[in-house]
Amino acid sequence: MRECQIKQEVVGSVDILRLDGALDAYSFPRLEHAFNQLRDKQRNQIVLDCSNLDYINSASLGALIGFARKVREQGGDLKLAALTPKIYSIVELLGFDKMLQIFPDAQLAVSKF
Amino acid sequence: MNPDAGGISNSLIFISALTNFLLAIGGAYMYFRWQKQRKTCEQLLQEKEVIFGFVHDVGEVFAEAEHIEPDLLLKRVLFYALRTTRAASGVIYLVDDRGDTLTARAISGVFPPLVVDANSGLDVAVSKSKHIENLVRTRIIHKGESLIGTVADLGTPVLVPDAECDPRVPRHEAEFLRIRSLVLVPMRFHQQVTGVLAVVNRVDGKFFAETDMSLLQALADQASAAVYYAGLRDSLDEKKRIDHDLSLARQIQYSLLPRELPKIEGIELAAFNQPAKEIGGDYYDVIPLDDKHIGIAIADVSGKSIGGAMLMSICRSVLRAKAPGILSPAELLRSMNHALAGDISEDMFITMLYMVFNLETRQLVVARAGHEKPLVVRADRSTEIIESSGTALGLLMDQDMFDSIIGEAEIHLKPGDLVVGFTDGITEAMNADKEEWGMDAFIDSCSLAVSEGSNSLINKIRQRIQRFVGDHPQYDDMTLLALYVTK
Repeated sequence: MRECQIKQEVVGSVDILRLDGALDAYSFPRLEHAFNQLRDKQRNQIVLDCSNLDYINSASLGALIGFARKVREQGGDLKLAALTPKIYSIVELLGFDKMLQIFPDAQLAVSKF
Repeated sequence: MNPDAGGISNSLIFISALTNFLLAIGGAYMYFRWQKQRKTCEQLLQEKEVIFGFVHDVGEVFAEAEHIEPDLLLKRVLFYALRTTRAASGVIYLVDDRGDTLTARAISGVFPPLVVDANSGLDVAVSKSKHIENLVRTRIIHKGESLIGTVADLGTPVLVPDAECDPRVPRHEAEFLRIRSLVLVPMRFHQQVTGVLAVVNRVDGKFFAETDMSLLQALADQASAAVYYAGLRDSLDEKKRIDHDLSLARQIQYSLLPRELPKIEGIELAAFNQPAKEIGGDYYDVIPLDDKHIGIAIADVSGKSIGGAMLMSICRSVLRAKAPGILSPAELLRSMNHALAGDISEDMFITMLYMVFNLETRQLVVARAGHEKPLVVRADRSTEIIESSGTALGLLMDQDMFDSIIGEAEIHLKPGDLVVGFTDGITEAMNADKEEWGMDAFIDSCSLAVSEGSNSLINKIRQRIQRFVGDHPQYDDMTLLALYVTK
């Protein structure tokens, strides 16, 4: 599996994190690091673009929920965009589609802030 | 768990607890089983307290094992070794990195040198115990040299009850260095000798006996893994450390799965669990609830490494404490969520399928906390997926949402029908071409094998997956649990 690369893009008050590869126990710390940096800068409107995310392990998904909770406490939100059908079905099975907002593409997600 | 150590004695379980939590888990497992056999309503409440207490204790042991320095750990092992055998002094030698020499890493009491070199200064500095300790610490021993080196070389323990008559034991002039009785045991991990633990002279003046040797060996066996992992933290980089944490977590996970499933008139239960390199932490359990209901759980615990394994142990304790009082699966999952959410780290959660089967009416009630939906295969080979709504357990964010979303499904089973719960590792088993085995192949396999019952069905699915994946490494655990109605 390809280790996950993360590209960041700023659109006004929103930060888009584009994930490319697989998020597992080895690569998740990178995303965690990116999240923590945003938090330190008081940036709490975040979109995760998952169009090139091949795989996500369950611990990483759990951490996303935890992170969403933190940014919501600060008045922000974490939204997911462009999930592949496979990852969408996992998110749905876990019931996480009821906790996180999911959009077909990053642009639409950004516009919902 | 070391099978040799399991039944030796309760006191040994106590002694090893600090150095190896696996033994603690094993002991608690036996304790819970014993408790279960004499259960009344009041005892149930007590049991609940004991379980929560245990979870807390295990947590503390874990927290400590993760951070303790190797040298401190060795000192503790030695402390318990001396207490167990009532020895006056002891030493732990560890095999050096190159593998052909040993160095003393922990010493307790005045340990008389087992190798005597010319000009060692023993004769002139007899009263200086510090000098003796320094001598033992600095004298590197080659494999095969002296009793220490021999035990390291052969990997077998040595008991010398009457050491003064044994030519292998050096004779020191000074009274306080006299060696009357001696036991040496190898420390072994992954089929390799990692060190030698030796104790000298019982404080009551008696000779060491066979029981001292076997107790010491059991202690060394339990301690070896902990010492090994403690040493790793010092020397390995992050990636390797993650790998080893995963392997430690694996051992804990394995110790939490049922050794065997209960035999119950009218049904046949079977399960299969295969761990993968990166863990998802699969767990399953079957819990007799009363004389006509059984609870069947299958869960996937998320969370990294040791944290995940700990969460599994908590999940198991909470499930086992709560299940006997609650016959509604949705109610049980709500109650578990209330117990778990807030107490567990926020990146962790558990998906769980919980089913309660009524042995008299053959009614099966199912609830699902974000877990894969179970499959029913009827005797005529038709299949249906049991649908019910629910989100994963343990997430702090949405307790009320959890309570309102979780639902139940109820189905009636007839003789010849089979229900199978599974984790995503089954349907997502991957071959070298990165293809997944898939839900369709899974349903097809279940349908074909239904008439042969649970055990045979599970074996067939296992073989099919094996053929499909070949030797491609798997990233997630695989777990299957089947209930077959025989009459």
